[in-house]
Amino acid sequence: MGFDLDFAIATLPLILRALDMTLLVAVTSCIGAAAIGFNLEILRRAGGAFGLVVRFFIDFIRATPILVWLYCLYFILPFYGVRLSALTVGIAGLSLYYSGYLAEVFKAGIDAIPKGQAEAAQALGIGRRDTVIFVIAPQMLRNIAAPMGNYFVSILKATPYLAVLAVPEMLGEAFDIASDTYRYAEPLTVAGITFLALALIISRGVKWLEDRLATSSAR
Amino acid sequence: MDQSDKDTVVRIDALQKWYGAFHVLKDISLTVPRGARIVICGPSGSGKSSLIRCVNGLEAYQQGTIDLEGVRLGENAAQTTLARRKTGMVFQSFNLFPHLTVLANCTLALRRVSGMARGEADELASQYLEKVRIPEQAHKYPGQLSGGQQQRVAIARALCMNPRLMLFDEPTSALDPEMIKEVLDVITGLAKDGMTMLCVTHEMGFAREVADEVVFMDHGSIVEKAPPDQFFSQPCHPRAREFLNTLLH
Ligand SMILES: Nc1ncnc2c1ncn2[C@@H]1O[C@H](COP(=O)(O)OP(=O)(O)O)[C@@H](O)[C@H]1O
Ligand SMILES: [Mg+2]
Repeated sequence: MGFDLDFAIATLPLILRALDMTLLVAVTSCIGAAAIGFNLEILRRAGGAFGLVVRFFIDFIRATPILVWLYCLYFILPFYGVRLSALTVGIAGLSLYYSGYLAEVFKAGIDAIPKGQAEAAQALGIGRRDTVIFVIAPQMLRNIAAPMGNYFVSILKATPYLAVLAVPEMLGEAFDIASDTYRYAEPLTVAGITFLALALIISRGVKWLEDRLATSSAR
Repeated sequence: MDQSDKDTVVRIDALQKWYGAFHVLKDISLTVPRGARIVICGPSGSGKSSLIRCVNGLEAYQQGTIDLEGVRLGENAAQTTLARRKTGMVFQSFNLFPHLTVLANCTLALRRVSGMARGEADELASQYLEKVRIPEQAHKYPGQLSGGQQQRVAIARALCMNPRLMLFDEPTSALDPEMIKEVLDVITGLAKDGMTMLCVTHEMGFAREVADEVVFMDHGSIVEKAPPDQFFSQPCHPRAREFLNTLLH
């Protein structure tokens, strides 16, 4: 059975139906992972015993397979009376898992900012919170746009893990077509190419952001 | 608050500071009256930066007291914040925010700390940029300016918060020689306007013209305190004499 281009094209609209779901999961997980990761890193930097706890948590997240997170959230939380939808669990799992990696990226980005920046803010009487938001975070983003973009692509590529929770994302949809028709090559290829296209769009977007951040400060 | 407190901007009393086991400030006492211009000099590593960083709370100290207009620094968080807001700091390395325009560098604290509206903050910042003779650069980024221009912006940024005391830590040491004068001229202008200042510098011409007192530090102590004419022509302490010789040669 050869590759049937017409059949492949016919599967495209069916697979793209699940594009919304893939994008929804990817985008919210990127935002969630970045938000959690950034807060973890800021908490870790506060130091002391609490900083050590956060440090341990970051390492723990990174040392655990992503499926463990998804299964734990989905099957164990209900025992404690927390019942979340498969979609919510999927987004929460991806966000938590990648927050550990992004925290490390943010750490490198903040370490590269000269100490004098925070001191100048402090000397002007700017509070800790405002210093993080208006002085540290923008300079950090400029330092880490590229590695952060790589993790965003990784998050996109991890969305098919949600198949284990029966969340209807693109690869799952492709697989459904395959099992209904017994033709695997076409739907899986179409899904693969769609992922590739999305990844390229994210990379372009990150490159654009990087250039913009670089020219805005002309450094 | 008695009369002497009103005329005193900073009172440092028996200040002691350690970095771990290293005793960096040894029993420092210094009173800065309103309007005084005090120049601090001394060999590298003598504790000059540590001292002025203690005065605005960037560094903690272990013994002694620092009072800014009667408000004690380091007593509790609220008092420290209150005291710190009376000071403006200019660093050797400028420390401008590279991702913000010159104007935004100046207005950030006005808006976030003083809660000023954008228009009002822009207006005020523009006045200070005019004062440091750099109004036409307001919409550029720090990276597009020369070192001398950046340091003048840093001065304007500190002035925006209306400090009672300006602290300068070697403001011209990172500058190319041809830019030193434009920065010193701005600081001299501030002194003429009556600004109280503590300035770490080795610019002797500036010290002679502007300072009413030169404080010489060595190994964490104040070794000599004298009017500039006396200090530069006939320093009492041998280590001060030695230091001046190294500056001249
Ligand atoms: N954060 C720090 N930790 C440990 N030692 C320090 C620190 N900052 C400065 N020192 C030491 O304290 C001494 C005085 O430093 P500093 O106040 O910067 O002197 P100066 O400004 O007169 O050159 C130096 O020996 C320096 O190495
Ligand atoms: Mg110094």
